Amino acid sequence: MTSPAPPLVEMIGIEKHFGGVHAVNGVSLKLFPGEIVGVLGHNGAGKSCLMRILSGAMLPTGGEIRIRGKTVSFDSPNDARDLGIETIYQTLALADHLDAPANLFLGREIKTRFGNLDDARMLSEARKVLATLNPNFRNLTDPVLSLSGGQRQVIAIARAIYFDVKVLIMDEPTAALGPSETAMVADLVRRLKAQGIGILLVSHDMHDVFELCDRVVVMNKGNLVGEHDIEDVTKDDILSLIIKGELPLDWTPRSAEMAQ
Amino acid sequence: MTEATQAGGGETAGALKFSADTFHRLTALMTLALLIVVFAFGNAAFLSVNNGLTVLLQTSVIGLLGIGMTMVIITGGIDLSVGSVLALSGVITGLSVKAGLPVIPAMMLGVVTGALCGAFNGFVITRMRITPFVATLGMMLIARGLALQLTGAAPVSGLGEPFGILGNGSLFRVVELRENGFPRVVFPGIPYPVILLVIVAAAAAYLLRRRQLGRHIYATGSNEEAARLAGVLVDRTKIMAYVMSGALAGLAGNVLMSRLVTAQPSEGVMYELDAIAAAVIGGASLMGGVGGISGTMIGAFIIGILRNGLNMAGVSAFIQQIVIGFVVIGAVWIDQLRNRN
Repeated sequence: MTSPAPPLVEMIGIEKHFGGVHAVNGVSLKLFPGEIVGVLGHNGAGKSCLMRILSGAMLPTGGEIRIRGKTVSFDSPNDARDLGIETIYQTLALADHLDAPANLFLGREIKTRFGNLDDARMLSEARKVLATLNPNFRNLTDPVLSLSGGQRQVIAIARAIYFDVKVLIMDEPTAALGPSETAMVADLVRRLKAQGIGILLVSHDMHDVFELCDRVVVMNKGNLVGEHDIEDVTKDDILSLIIKGELPLDWTPRSAEMAQ
Repeated sequence: MTEATQAGGGETAGALKFSADTFHRLTALMTLALLIVVFAFGNAAFLSVNNGLTVLLQTSVIGLLGIGMTMVIITGGIDLSVGSVLALSGVITGLSVKAGLPVIPAMMLGVVTGALCGAFNGFVITRMRITPFVATLGMMLIARGLALQLTGAAPVSGLGEPFGILGNGSLFRVVELRENGFPRVVFPGIPYPVILLVIVAAAAAYLLRRRQLGRHIYATGSNEEAARLAGVLVDRTKIMAYVMSGALAGLAGNVLMSRLVTAQPSEGVMYELDAIAAAVIGGASLMGGVGGISGTMIGAFIIGILRNGLNMAGVSAFIQQIVIGFVVIGAVWIDQLRNRN
């Protein structure tokens, strides 16, 4: 079970306080290469906060982050991205008036020798990566404002996987999607896992979680209340953790139960 | 199948959006053409080369301010200080010339003054987190007060001929001496301010469309949080926009004071509103993320031609204000019709 290599991501005793409010309270978690970890909890349980800290969008009040065993500190999203940590935000975080290639390369624009924007190359690269996600994506030069929710989601995903991604944080990646697109995202997640990418999946969808995740961590009121291999728990166990912050009284690891 | 339909739907919406965008620019251009035709019928002198150059000259100051304003408006901000900064920069240049500095370094000093005012705006907005409206309102008072204090509210005159070249000189001026000894102006030449406007407009359009900073200006105005998460240095981008707006206000101040060959601390009152009007008529959205230099130029010329034509028709300055006020409202109304789904 334990890998000899240091974990891809190790968060140790992460704290985030807003005034007197403890949004994240001494949370530790590990993520290994090729592993999918579900991060679950109520709205406001602190999971988005924790993910924003890992993606460099928020500074922790305390605690330590290690990437492949090395302690790092992120002052901006760029620092995290430089280490291969990419995030797909629930809000998709797209600039509505820009087109798909401009959004895909936002902050990391391809430039010509003279420092001009190389729009032709960005368009052709965007066409390539978007085609692998959705072959019907053709209106690349429209502002993303006029695109469907699914297409916007595809752009947000493409932005994360186009670059050299090692750790992928997905915050409700299928919230805006229809059934066929959700299946496409599930396929993609499995493909990335096979490439050895570590994935943190924030989701409310139990179906997704049980289908994709190797492990789940559950947060409640800023605390980490449970960390289990997916075989050890049922949906009811997880719901109990999410709602009450503890497992059912008679809980024993389900895999041990099965072995008996 | 579902995806195909959705993609198709998106494409249609996109095509409509594109044509609506072009539509706005076309309406603005047609308004401009219509104004020219109407005024040409109203007064034969309106369509003369001389009057055309006058309009160009008069529009160059509003055009320069409008370009800076457009960049700020695209970031989702506003710069109310440009009129006052224009006056302060002109006064600084004037006083420097008076103090013995040659004209070109003095003018550079004026532009730098404008840039510093812009940097102060940017600092107050990004570091002190004060809304652009309030921050630049403060700068509007500060810069005007400084200009008046430095000059004792009196115009600085006697600045010498070289100071007037930028505002009054022109390129390709052809003058022939007639037999009776009087000169005859064959072609009055292209005024320097107009050439300056063309160069600045081209540079600004290049910056906005082809450079990373321009892309980040649009991204910041379109969705600031998204831009920040994507790694755009949002604060730096905003500061740059205000610095450029301030520097262009300084440049416009030099052009205007040079034209008058006097540094007037009370010049440029309400110019910021003309600049905002030019950007908005040209399709810039005060919500940010939308706007362009070509549109602002059309907007500036609509205002310039309206003023000039109404002047020539003998319409009072008060009525002109009323007309321009309605034009601004009309332009924004058309824009909203375009954006309403």
